[in-house]
Amino acid sequence: MAYSNKVIDHYENPRNVGSLPKNDPEVGTGMVGAPECGDVMRLQIKVNPETQVIEDAKFKTFGCGSAIASSSLATEWVKGKTVEDALRIKNTDIVRELSLPPVKIHCSVLAEDAIKAAIGDWKRKRGDEAGPNGTSAAASQAE
Amino acid sequence: MTSGLRFPTPGIDERTDMHASPSPSTACWNCGGAPGPGHFCAACGKIQPPGDGGYFAFFALPEKLGVDREDLERRYLALSWKLHPDNFVRAGEYERNCSLELSSALNDAYRALCDPVSRAEYLLERHGVRKEGQTKQQAPPELLEEVFELNEWLDELRSAREAGSRGAETSELRERLEGARQAFEEKLAAVDAELGAGFAEWDAATDGGAGDAARGRAMARLNEVLNRRSYIRNLVASVTRELENDA
Repeated sequence: MAYSNKVIDHYENPRNVGSLPKNDPEVGTGMVGAPECGDVMRLQIKVNPETQVIEDAKFKTFGCGSAIASSSLATEWVKGKTVEDALRIKNTDIVRELSLPPVKIHCSVLAEDAIKAAIGDWKRKRGDEAGPNGTSAAASQAE
Repeated sequence: MTSGLRFPTPGIDERTDMHASPSPSTACWNCGGAPGPGHFCAACGKIQPPGDGGYFAFFALPEKLGVDREDLERRYLALSWKLHPDNFVRAGEYERNCSLELSSALNDAYRALCDPVSRAEYLLERHGVRKEGQTKQQAPPELLEEVFELNEWLDELRSAREAGSRGAETSELRERLEGARQAFEEKLAAVDAELGAGFAEWDAATDGGAGDAARGRAMARLNEVLNRRSYIRNLVASVTRELENDA
């Protein structure tokens, strides 16, 4: 199985690798992992409280090329979007953009979960209701 | 994380006697009689096609996770002998095919049931609780922070190695990783103990003829423990690999 050119590009030149200050009230952190392959993905967003726009996003992923590419793409996509728009990103969008083969679809699921977990964490910090379902990673950090 | 699980299990009869029937419930293809246990017709003795009773039933075992390995091996050897294609060289094509299919199914069944972890995984897959690569399975959240940190150390060790530093320069890092490996090996042992308790819960539910709800709870617990186990095992393996590479 060969990776698509887009996957290779994101893998070789990952966008937005790094971290944001976890305790910053404007930063949301999503940590997710896949038990099958042992991948672990951390995606962070920095949100402008006035406009609700995600102004910065960083990720760090330990996993296969598809997992890295999926999270790299996810940070690119969420940047500049409002929180509500970012929540509409679907894993299938990532699959399509990266031409992921069926065996790698779980990587895109992980990236979608990471976005939701990061947003959930940010909302929780602001004292909103708990985030959408599937933000278990963020939930555990809040406990 | 239970949102992906479906209960009650479709298509699986609750009565335990169903699980012990190794042959298809249809009549014998040869004489029309009721097929007996052990893949042969009780009336005419002809070999029967594989049933859909699953791997436990294949060995005429109840669907329980506590399996006596020696007993399983005895059953395996006895069936290998009885079902072997060599016994059917002079039989008709249909019987030869039955023998081939059963022999191949026998090996699959033995491989799946021999190891306790694959046995439990098989049980959950058969009941639709666990699907390879498809269901959205979340890693245990309480572990993620530690896992992430461990991966960062592994990264450091790799980069240090690539930069040509060895021995003393990486020894502090190696010590940290060695400590982490021990901690995760202890977690693995604890998870194995939990798995044993999960086995007992399932077996008790099966013995007691418990309903779908109790069986579902037992399976959900097993699934959660298995997820955690595979995650920790992968971690221990990758730390061990890196430490050996570095040695």
